Amino acid sequence: MINHIPESRIDKKAIKAWRFSALIFGILWFVPAIAYISISIGINKFDLILSILSVIPSLVLYLFIGLLVPNLRWQRWRYEVNDDAIDLLRGFVFKTRTVVPINRVQHVDTNQGPIYRKYGLSSVKISTAATTHEIPALDDETATEVRNKISQLVRQVKEDV
Amino acid sequence: MSEFRRQHWAAAVDRLFTAVRQNFVTFLILIFVGTRQAGGDYFVYVLIGTMALTFFSGIAGWYRFQYRISDGELQIKKGIFVRKKVYMAKERIQVIDVTEGLVQRVFGLVKVEVKTAGGGTESATINAMTFEEAEELKRELRNNNRVKIEGDELLEDEGVSSEDEFLDEWKISSKELVMAAFTSGNFGLIASILGAFSGQLDAVITDETIEYIQGLMPGLNNFTLVATVVIVILIISWTFSFLGVIFNYSDFSVKKTEKELLIRSGLIERKHITIPFDRIQAVRFIEGVLRQPLGCGMLYVESAGFEQNAKERSIVLVPFISRTKMHEFFDRFLSDFHIPELEVKPPERSFFRYLRRPNYLLLVAIPVAWYFWDFGWLLTFLIIPATILGWLRYKDAGLYFDSKMITMQFRNFNRKTAFIRRKRVQVIEETINPFQERKKISSLAVTAASGAKGIEFSINDLESTDVSRIRKWLLNGETDYASTQ
Repeated sequence: MINHIPESRIDKKAIKAWRFSALIFGILWFVPAIAYISISIGINKFDLILSILSVIPSLVLYLFIGLLVPNLRWQRWRYEVNDDAIDLLRGFVFKTRTVVPINRVQHVDTNQGPIYRKYGLSSVKISTAATTHEIPALDDETATEVRNKISQLVRQVKEDV
Repeated sequence: MSEFRRQHWAAAVDRLFTAVRQNFVTFLILIFVGTRQAGGDYFVYVLIGTMALTFFSGIAGWYRFQYRISDGELQIKKGIFVRKKVYMAKERIQVIDVTEGLVQRVFGLVKVEVKTAGGGTESATINAMTFEEAEELKRELRNNNRVKIEGDELLEDEGVSSEDEFLDEWKISSKELVMAAFTSGNFGLIASILGAFSGQLDAVITDETIEYIQGLMPGLNNFTLVATVVIVILIISWTFSFLGVIFNYSDFSVKKTEKELLIRSGLIERKHITIPFDRIQAVRFIEGVLRQPLGCGMLYVESAGFEQNAKERSIVLVPFISRTKMHEFFDRFLSDFHIPELEVKPPERSFFRYLRRPNYLLLVAIPVAWYFWDFGWLLTFLIIPATILGWLRYKDAGLYFDSKMITMQFRNFNRKTAFIRRKRVQVIEETINPFQERKKISSLAVTAASGAKGIEFSINDLESTDVSRIRKWLLNGETDYASTQ
């Protein structure tokens, strides 16, 4: 199982959800530009060209993170839960592969924030004695399924830390 | 111990002492400020009043504090106004720490801290009891405390006597202690002190002060002045760390019983730490820059689930030990571990990546420094030590794994070697960036539990196939050397 990549993808609605939240929170990228522009107006030194130049980097970042990154992230994200381990693959620049043996899992839970709720998505959080891992954006039933599957597997190999 | 009992009354004294010690600086400042102003007398009364209040609340606290062991639990009642009851089940108790603080040593007593697993759980501290009582408490709490660990066979209960017997003992000689103290120079600390000072340097070094000092010591110029300041700081911080080691690790010993390691150390405040073998998550050997040339280092043990504080969750197992003696130590005290030759090394094609890696920071720092400071270009010379560091990292990186455990050696600044049993590895993470992908190399991070969190050991730029093998090994213990050789 180890050299093939994990088989399941996360829900495609993830792209929409991530895009939505990136476009909302991404407004923060404009804070420096807005601050610059409002100060320059305040002291009567408004310069149209400089103002446009200051907006451009924010806009590029905003659009890149808002429109492109969710796609790339989704493309990479894979997970697999089997009898031995939870196998995660993620990251669009730095590709990270995480292996959590089932018998190291201490607890699993599912989470849903307001944006995920809007799209009917949940994330599954897996905690070991040392770390926490997350499978983001599964649709609600799948998330519950994955959570139950993990907790069942854990019970089968139930051991103390 | 099934009846509630109180601590020794020295607990009240200890409480006062602790309060004074913790607020010592505040006291000093208050005394200075307070007595200088008009009506300073009142201030002294207030101070004395506060002390008296602390003392009486200490006595009241002592009076209200009761403990017992019953129904397999340590039960504590405490609190002067708000009554608080703490129950700790035997099975959940991870560590029982015995310390002899200054006050305790005066009265011939010990302080006992009982700690349970998990985040947020508080520890129960009994501040003053006799050593015999502490032993009894320990024995009762450990009784029936059989925790089955995955993969390990259930340890059999062989009765109290054989369990408490000391099977072996390891001490460090005075020579080793002094060597440890000499080589303890903490570069991080020194650097941060220097940094803090250099920020103030401009304010301190004015023409007047220079003239003044030159008046005192003729023959000093600007350069030697700065050099003197640096040397003085070095000597001061080095002295502190020297004394720190002497105070902390005098009278050091590790004892082994059937199921536990008992560590005792300290000159004035003496600490006793008990580590059950089945709580050991990993063992680390750190060879400091000054120690490595002597072939020596410090041995730490990582234990799971009690100490929240990052600084304290790694326990010093031996403060100073040579690499050659370590084989003997492992044989005698940590028979689950051994010290193998490292077989998996980063491939040759990652050599230049190792050399480059420490230089990336300079890539940004040099242009910035060059632009802003007159002598910023001098930073360019840092490329040489950075490259040497990279070369050392390449040379030292390596690992070995067999069906039972993994050994990883790597260097950030000091050379570190981690020994982790396979069953104790929590997570393995492989990271590949696009450049690494082209060269088919990847970075490996292995996490073990330590305290309430984890401790991560990582090696960069290993052969990707090796990392895949390790991922597989984590699940089934097969080393599979054949497939690549």
